[in-house]
Amino acid sequence: MPMKGRFPVRRTLQYLSQGDVIFKSSVKVMTVNYNTAGERSEGARKFVFFTIPQIQYKNPWVQIMLFRNMTPSPFLRFYLDNGEQVLVDVEEKTNKEITEHIKKILGKSQETLEKEEREKKKLSHPATFGHKKYHLRECMCEIEGQVPCPAFVPLPKEMRGKYKAATKNEASA
Amino acid sequence: MSVPRAAVHAKWIVGKVIGTKMQKTAKVRVTRLVLDPYLLKFFNKRKTYFAHDPLQQCVVGDIVLLKALPERRSKHVKHELAEIVFKVGNVIDPITGKPCAGTRFLENLPDSENLTEADTTYLSEKLQELKVCSTDK
Repeated sequence: MPMKGRFPVRRTLQYLSQGDVIFKSSVKVMTVNYNTAGERSEGARKFVFFTIPQIQYKNPWVQIMLFRNMTPSPFLRFYLDNGEQVLVDVEEKTNKEITEHIKKILGKSQETLEKEEREKKKLSHPATFGHKKYHLRECMCEIEGQVPCPAFVPLPKEMRGKYKAATKNEASA
Repeated sequence: MSVPRAAVHAKWIVGKVIGTKMQKTAKVRVTRLVLDPYLLKFFNKRKTYFAHDPLQQCVVGDIVLLKALPERRSKHVKHELAEIVFKVGNVIDPITGKPCAGTRFLENLPDSENLTEADTTYLSEKLQELKVCSTDK
C-alpha cells in the first residue's frame, strides 16, 4: 500500500531528519518569494517543495513564510536578531545551489554542531539509573549477569525478606 | 530576576495586517509552519498579534515586520511595527527596486498620455457600454 501524494518520501521522519541546514540562533524569520510558473523560479519551487520541510523540521523556532507570485524575481530573505536583513537572489539557481549557499552563509558549521552535541552528552551521566527519559537504564535487573527482575523470575528463598526475617526470629528465639 | 529584553518569546515576526480599526494599533496575522504528527506534513498555523503603529500607516493587506517591545505596552500589545515589507498594491521588487504587481513590472506599461487614437476610441466605446441607464419602474 503506497503512501499518498506526489513525493510522499518528503513526509517521512528519515527524510526530514536528513536535512543538514541548521540556522544560527540569530536567524528568526525566513521569507521565500517565488512564482508558481516560469523557468526562472524553477529552482526556488523545487527548494520550497523538497527542502523547506527539512529546514523547518531542524529549525522549529524559525518562522518560515512563503509568498507566491508577488514579484517577478524569486528571492529569499532572512531577518536576523540584530535587525539585519539578508537578501538572497535565487533566480536561475537550482535547489542544491540554494541549499549550499544558505548553509554557507547562515548555517551552523560542522564544528559548532559537534561541540553542541558533546555539551549535551556531558549533561547526562550514563552510569545513573532512573526514568527512561533522563537515564539509560531504569533498574539493575535490566543488565545481563545481574539478578533478574523478581517480577519475571522469583528470587531464591535465601534472598527473600520473609525468609530472612523468619531465620532471624528463629536465631533470636 | 533580570529580563534583558522582551517579555515575549517571539522577537521578530513577519505577518499580514488584517485589521486597523484600533487607534494606533494594527492587528497582524502571523503564520507558522507546524508539523502534523500523523501526516508528517507542515501546515500553516495562524496566530494574531497586536502591534503598535504610532503613525497609523498600515493598511489591511500589508506584509509587515514586527519587533518585540522591551516591556508590554498594554494587555495585548507586545510588539511594534518595525517595517512594512510589502505595501499592498505598491509592491517593490527588492532585487531590482522597481514597482511590480504579480509577475510583471509596472514600469513598462503605457501611460494614458501615450495612447494612440485607436486606443482612445476603443476605450470610449467600452465606457459607453458600461454606462448605467435608469430603468422605469
